[in-house]
Amino acid sequence: MNAQRIISAVVGIAAGLLVAFVFFGDFGNEDTATSADNKSKAEKVFVPYGELDDYYMLASGGHSGQLFVYGVPSMRKIRTVPVFTPDPATGYGYDKESKEMLGDYTWGDFHHPAVSETEGDYDGEFLFANDVGNNRVAAVDLGIFHTVDIMDLPNMGGPHAGVFLTSNTEYIALPTRFARPLGGEYASLDKYEEEYKGVVSMTTFDKKKKEFDLAFQIVLPPWSYDLSDAGKKDSSDWIVMTTYNTEFATTNLEINASQNDRDYIVMINWKKLEKAVADGKYDDVNGAKMVDPRDVKGAIYAVPVAKSPHGVDVTPDGTRFIASGKLAPLMTVFSFEKAFDAIEKGDFDDEKFGIPILPYEDVMEREVDPPGALGPLHTQFDDKGHAYNTMFISSEVVKWKVDTGEVIDRKPSYYSPGHASAAEGDTVDPDGKWLVALNKIAKDNFLSVGPSHPESMDLYDISGEEMEHIMAAPVDPEPHYAQIIHRDKIKPKKLYEKDEDRPNSVWSVDDAHIERKGDEVHVYGVALRSRFVFDAKAERPDAVTVKQGDKVFFHMTNIDLDQDITHGFGINDYNLNFEVQPGQTSTLEFVADKAGTYPIYCTNFCSALHQEMSGYLLVEPK
Amino acid sequence: MKKKLSKVSMFSLIAAAIIIFITLFVPWWGMEFYAPQYPEGLDIIVYPTTLAGDIDVVNGLNHYIGMKEFSNESFPELQFMPYIVAGIAVLTLIVAFLRRKSLLYGLIALFALGGAVGILDMRRWLKKFGTELDPNAPIDLEPFVPPIIGENTIANFVTNSYFTWGAFLLGLAFILMIFPLWKDRGK
Repeated sequence: MNAQRIISAVVGIAAGLLVAFVFFGDFGNEDTATSADNKSKAEKVFVPYGELDDYYMLASGGHSGQLFVYGVPSMRKIRTVPVFTPDPATGYGYDKESKEMLGDYTWGDFHHPAVSETEGDYDGEFLFANDVGNNRVAAVDLGIFHTVDIMDLPNMGGPHAGVFLTSNTEYIALPTRFARPLGGEYASLDKYEEEYKGVVSMTTFDKKKKEFDLAFQIVLPPWSYDLSDAGKKDSSDWIVMTTYNTEFATTNLEINASQNDRDYIVMINWKKLEKAVADGKYDDVNGAKMVDPRDVKGAIYAVPVAKSPHGVDVTPDGTRFIASGKLAPLMTVFSFEKAFDAIEKGDFDDEKFGIPILPYEDVMEREVDPPGALGPLHTQFDDKGHAYNTMFISSEVVKWKVDTGEVIDRKPSYYSPGHASAAEGDTVDPDGKWLVALNKIAKDNFLSVGPSHPESMDLYDISGEEMEHIMAAPVDPEPHYAQIIHRDKIKPKKLYEKDEDRPNSVWSVDDAHIERKGDEVHVYGVALRSRFVFDAKAERPDAVTVKQGDKVFFHMTNIDLDQDITHGFGINDYNLNFEVQPGQTSTLEFVADKAGTYPIYCTNFCSALHQEMSGYLLVEPK
Repeated sequence: MKKKLSKVSMFSLIAAAIIIFITLFVPWWGMEFYAPQYPEGLDIIVYPTTLAGDIDVVNGLNHYIGMKEFSNESFPELQFMPYIVAGIAVLTLIVAFLRRKSLLYGLIALFALGGAVGILDMRRWLKKFGTELDPNAPIDLEPFVPPIIGENTIANFVTNSYFTWGAFLLGLAFILMIFPLWKDRGK
């Protein structure tokens, strides 16, 4: 017994040594090759002090409700821009304007950012964001990287399949993920097919007023709409959307929504629907103009697709749309031209909801099925006719040729990518420079911070024939999609402009004053290095006395018109804080319901005398 | 009666008059401020009619050392300088058309005197701003006098003062004024 153990131990050790010798023995200069390799990778991403990254990566922050701004290729995080979620650091959700914009919501689920487009290319003016959690759409002004409007969308059940934009930002479209009775009203799940609907919101955005408008909504069968894209160039009148749960499962979707071998890609002609709405062919449903595309000839078709697809992405030239199979391990290339021919020929059957179904064989151009590549989720493009697909299950990126389906290269990702984002890779004019895989699993890629892990992003250089994995970078949960836009297209301001006509603004220390109207106290104050002036004529210009129960408005203007001199404004014990950027006027509104003495102080370090930048709020008891 | 100045001299003086007039619209003097936090620099630019550049920012920073705020209102010269400059341009034109050397001597003397007074006046202001610092200021600094030309260091700032286009043009006008003395020498 003992002898046997000893023998097996010796054999084990010997085998181990052999393996170690074979695998780790120094048979060549592999190590030096690797270190030279790493050096050249490092050189590709190192941005020396004084120089800047070539690209902005604007990544959704998922259920953080925020926008993450990264520099590419360095993968340095530059800023978090709050969109659907309050942000005490900047006072977003605390000052009057952003508080009203957020309403009572404390979170959002931001999945897919979309930079405003002109002729199918990013124009860098605005970024639009969807909130799957609370059915909202938001716009971020890329001149100030600040959210400027949020609109609630009625009749929706989580607009996951947005946002995507038509070629000239005519519409910001958001298809729903969960079918739901219109208006979210009560209806038994037994009445799913009759009572539940899928809805697409078609919103417009006025760039001058910086305001959304819900132009119309499209009512669809209660399928789940997963992802979508707008056509480009010759196909720009069309939008395409992937569906799942055409089974109408109402429970345990994991199994029950994965039964049909085919789901659909829905093709909608938004131009025709726009005209129908203009002609009054709509019903008013909870304040939305609801159009049924089945009532508009030629406005809706469906194409069968391998089951439960995720992304559908239109090629840069606008001739094809590519579905990523997710549960079917293949990418299906569909031709818009073939679809248009099939429509022309009238070659279709009716689906039970009355939607014409185009024959798969007639519209499909090619199925691309790299062996062992599993779980394709999303497609990006370069400038040389290649597509790049993320493979969630086999954890890799596959590069292939759109025209032939030929697989060019495959590189692992660490681990399980969802979307990928290539430099301008979803526009009519991709740059073909970098690709970032937005991974769902990080495991031990980075120093551990316990059970809650960061997500992980892989950066690939895609400028050569083969992709080169350059680095992995951690990111807060959780970017679903990102867009990478060249820095020349974004023109941020350094300061807010001095606008003497701006309501509630005060531009000189001497003009700071307090007005009392009944139980309202309006402080027209200024912040400057390194003091607050609330009332220029008072004995103590930085103290404000109010009565308990007064409604207090601090209208603060930061009159330091100097780059990066931000002033914060926190009130001790009152759970209030906000910021005013140089040249900005913001209002903090609250009821002084607690009597007492409360220090006010600048919360954003502004100068050598920042610590002294303070005052008092004195609340006289009733 | 002496001979009049030559035609060439007349044109030279007319050119001087025009150039003097043009200086109304260009900056004469400036000061650049550099600090670790301001690698791009801050500017004070002085036109004969107004101050320009990052005046508010510089004032904001100066309050730490108790320097008085400056603005167009704090320099009465800016109110009447345009008249003086235009006046000298007109006088130069008159001398050009009268073409009398004695008047030209007078003009040159006046111009030189004006320049000297101007520089003394600048020096006076620089001294006033640099030395009359508010004793209650948060940062105590030894009084200082920034130079009219060249570099100086104040706290974290390195300043660089310089004459610019307006001053160069005035120099050119001066050369055009004395040119007739050489051109018409011995006449």
